[in-house]
Amino acid sequence: MITLNQELDASQKEKILELKLRLLKLIRRSVYVYRVDCGGCNGCEIEIFAAITPLFDAERFGIKVVGSPRHADVIVFTGPMTRPMRVPAIRAYQAAPDPKVVVAYGACGCSGGIFHDSYGVWGGADSVFPVDLYIPGCPPTPCATIHGFAVALGLLHQKMKGEHYVEGEGAGVRLKFPEVPIGLRKEIEREARRLCGYWHGRQIANQYLEFLAEKDPQKVDKRVKELLKAEKDARLVEVFMKIHRIFLDSMERAAGSA
Amino acid sequence: MQHEVKPEQGGKKHVDALRAKFGAAILEEAWQTPDQVTLTVDLNSLPEVVEEAYYRQGGWLSSVVGNDERSLNGHFAVYYVLSIEEERDPRKNIWLTVKALVPPDKPEFPSVTPRVPAAIWYERDVRDLFGIHPVGHPDPRRLALPDDWPENFHPLRKDAMDYRYRPEPTTEEETFDFIEVEGEGLVEIPLGPLHVTSDEPGHFRLFVDGETVVDADYRLFYCHRGLEKLAENRLDYDQIHFLAERICGICGYHHSIAYTMAVENAIGLEVPPRAQYIRTILLETERLHSHILNLGLACHFIGFDTGFMQLFRVREKSMEMAEILTGARKTYGMNLIGGVRKDILKDERDRVLALMAGVRKEVDEMIDILVNTPNLFHRTQGVGILDRKVARDLSPVGPTIRGSGYRRDTRADHPYCAYDRVPWKLITQEGNDVLARTLVRASEIYEIFSILEKCLSEMPDGPILVEGFTYKPHRWAVGCVEAPRGEDIHWLMTDNNQKVYRWRPRASSYNNWPPIRYMLRGNVISNAPLIVASIDPCYSCTERVTVIDVRKKKAKTIPYQELERYCREQKDSPLKS
Amino acid sequence: MIKLLKKVLQVGEATLKYPFAPAEVAPGFRGKPVYNFEQCISCGACTLACPANAITLSCDLERGIRTWQLFYGRCIFCGRCEEVCPTEAITLSPEFELAAFKKEDLVCRADFRLNKCRFCDRFFTPAKELEYVLAVMVQAGLPEPEVANRRALLEVCPECRRKVEVEKMKKAVFTPLE
Repeated sequence: MITLNQELDASQKEKILELKLRLLKLIRRSVYVYRVDCGGCNGCEIEIFAAITPLFDAERFGIKVVGSPRHADVIVFTGPMTRPMRVPAIRAYQAAPDPKVVVAYGACGCSGGIFHDSYGVWGGADSVFPVDLYIPGCPPTPCATIHGFAVALGLLHQKMKGEHYVEGEGAGVRLKFPEVPIGLRKEIEREARRLCGYWHGRQIANQYLEFLAEKDPQKVDKRVKELLKAEKDARLVEVFMKIHRIFLDSMERAAGSA
Repeated sequence: MQHEVKPEQGGKKHVDALRAKFGAAILEEAWQTPDQVTLTVDLNSLPEVVEEAYYRQGGWLSSVVGNDERSLNGHFAVYYVLSIEEERDPRKNIWLTVKALVPPDKPEFPSVTPRVPAAIWYERDVRDLFGIHPVGHPDPRRLALPDDWPENFHPLRKDAMDYRYRPEPTTEEETFDFIEVEGEGLVEIPLGPLHVTSDEPGHFRLFVDGETVVDADYRLFYCHRGLEKLAENRLDYDQIHFLAERICGICGYHHSIAYTMAVENAIGLEVPPRAQYIRTILLETERLHSHILNLGLACHFIGFDTGFMQLFRVREKSMEMAEILTGARKTYGMNLIGGVRKDILKDERDRVLALMAGVRKEVDEMIDILVNTPNLFHRTQGVGILDRKVARDLSPVGPTIRGSGYRRDTRADHPYCAYDRVPWKLITQEGNDVLARTLVRASEIYEIFSILEKCLSEMPDGPILVEGFTYKPHRWAVGCVEAPRGEDIHWLMTDNNQKVYRWRPRASSYNNWPPIRYMLRGNVISNAPLIVASIDPCYSCTERVTVIDVRKKKAKTIPYQELERYCREQKDSPLKS
Repeated sequence: MIKLLKKVLQVGEATLKYPFAPAEVAPGFRGKPVYNFEQCISCGACTLACPANAITLSCDLERGIRTWQLFYGRCIFCGRCEEVCPTEAITLSPEFELAAFKKEDLVCRADFRLNKCRFCDRFFTPAKELEYVLAVMVQAGLPEPEVANRRALLEVCPECRRKVEVEKMKKAVFTPLE
């Protein structure tokens, strides 16, 4: 299979990128961007497009999306590089004049994304081309797109940094709400998720479990009632009451068995 | 294999009528849900049965599914899924699937396409992916598989290969055989590369006589990503939502819902009412951004770029609505089997309602300006006619068919989520042209607002997710939604171990592409981009346009950009230079 | 035409200030998943849930290390990892500025120590996960001696445990015959 990847070590890559960016600066004009959709879902296309519409207006920075690779300074690859798109993508790449900055855009462009190991794709843009910049996201938002281009052009600094943690001796995990019986906690968390989903549910359960730290059922009941009185959202009242019911039931059960 | 399901009143009638006509050729009747039935028929009767259901029982072809069932019953199978809408009454409409078993030692079946043209792409698809041959099919070319894929190697056969296997490319060139139009002088236009608003790539070839399009041919499926096999092998039930969502970046949530509903129908799972409402809200939010997008594009193609930019500015508000409701602008990721992942609380509801009021006001003003632009009528009326007969034969969907006067809308025909509990109007137009399709979308935006308002203010109490159910293996069903571009239908069969046995998603554009050829014929070349954009294809422009001049016998390649410019400006024909 | 001009004038400038001012995202926006190493027990729930395989686990049984890895370049920001994590070790943040020149900068990696089996002396289970399981048992109110029992059991690899079980069964079955 034909690809345009070269075996380069890290320092060579860095040098090439530096040269490219310097050349772009020397050209001293707006930066033209050409997109190649390598079989993506259009999510990335539509967000790149949103980035040049009035609200985000990437053209403020002279970033202009052009219709031909021959005008391009930056070439953006989206999509997981499907088999039929490899050859057209290579043609577009070769048509763009040097120096060109190659951007892999979106999860698919960066690595093949959710499709990464399927028979129908080759993987990210770097399966075929040497890539200079990766913009992750599925799809990247228009702001992320602007940030990405600004990083590519040296206007903003890269924020991401590789992370590597190594476990030392005696590291331990903080247990959630150690004073609340674990069975009860699980039941409350589960009900909150069933009613409100994982994101709201977790916040609601954590808020409620704070009350349970009080231990004294009457105090808990009082605090819950105060909360419900102040709450303006009828849905939240419903959810808190259902969760509170679990606690009250467990208290009754405990009283019954005692 | 299927569980006991009682057919709904009215649905049985169609089965009885088919039985009366075909008798012993109908081997088995199985109901998957009260409005979904599968009839297994004798292989040789397949075309007749499908034709009867299609033309004489008010059927439309929604999907065709190939399946490798050799490990289940020793055969391959083909399923023709028809939506029977004869009486236009949701209580009487059914999904009728005609199934036939294909012997593995002679993988052939009689093609349905000569009798029902709507099957034309589907049968090529089945041939590519399963190596089951539709005997008598008029088009021997590949559809889904790329040019560089080895011959006689069919990826969706269960025993063909690992889902990760990537055969070496057999060629470094594009070898697709475009049709040849006979006639004097030929100009071939390849409709050009990926322009600013483009979505998927594809390759178009237009045949023109002077400035008039005589015929068109296209090579799509540049996006075949192998997601069906991926889903069968790598992903579990709750992961496929996220893959389904990435079938299309514009109407992904609709795909995610269609998938979810297919599973829920197959295993007979009830979804809580609040989740149904939330799903409806998210579906309509997605339709809102998509319809504004298409209206914007319509402005662009008729040369009204100010309107285009204004509409895109307004569209951002609908993106913000999605972000508030789901945490993401585009890929909502909100479904699980049995419900949704996130509730809508008062804060969110109030913010969304406020944003929506803004969108309504602005869209209203923009539509008012647009319909008072003489250019709109001048450029779109009578252009890109989708003849009612062509429409009937090819089963297009969504605003494309509603612009030709057919009252087809899955939300009304086979109601799902909360669509049967909130009031809304089904919009149709009679013009058959680009204008009609544009106006359908414009009017539908108002329906979106009323659905959203109603759903947001009347969300029922209770949970948003059911848990603790089990998946039963080898059950199948369809899930179908009305996406912004028309019906998205997913056919699915369950398997053991948290996996699907077969999943066949079908996007709305799949049914809208084949009619394009007919819609282009007889139009001037400068209107081609406009016509293509009017079906709002899951891509509004194409890789290349080759124009073939029928008179001068000269093929000429014009960059799409140039053609689009010509479409907007209407001067300096690129054919003349 | 007049209407349109009026509209344009009325709208004025719509463009956001970003990147000169921070861009606001909605609460609950699904941005960069932030990893909290302290809280992670390397149980792998997130790797099973991740639809894109952006999160992966690998084991080095020679050196006794289990490696958890998140590749932001493959992440689809669905938040399933956050949803299934039992210890709140991963949460999606509002951060979206993820562009990077090098792929290495898109990787978050964590190495966990593995415990050795008491019987065969081979690495098999992460120490942190084991300690967490035991701590949960204590929290659930299991008496001290019972927790010690369980610990003894959990410090044996599944293979050895099976062997022990077989021995026990043999005894149970054959003893009455003698």
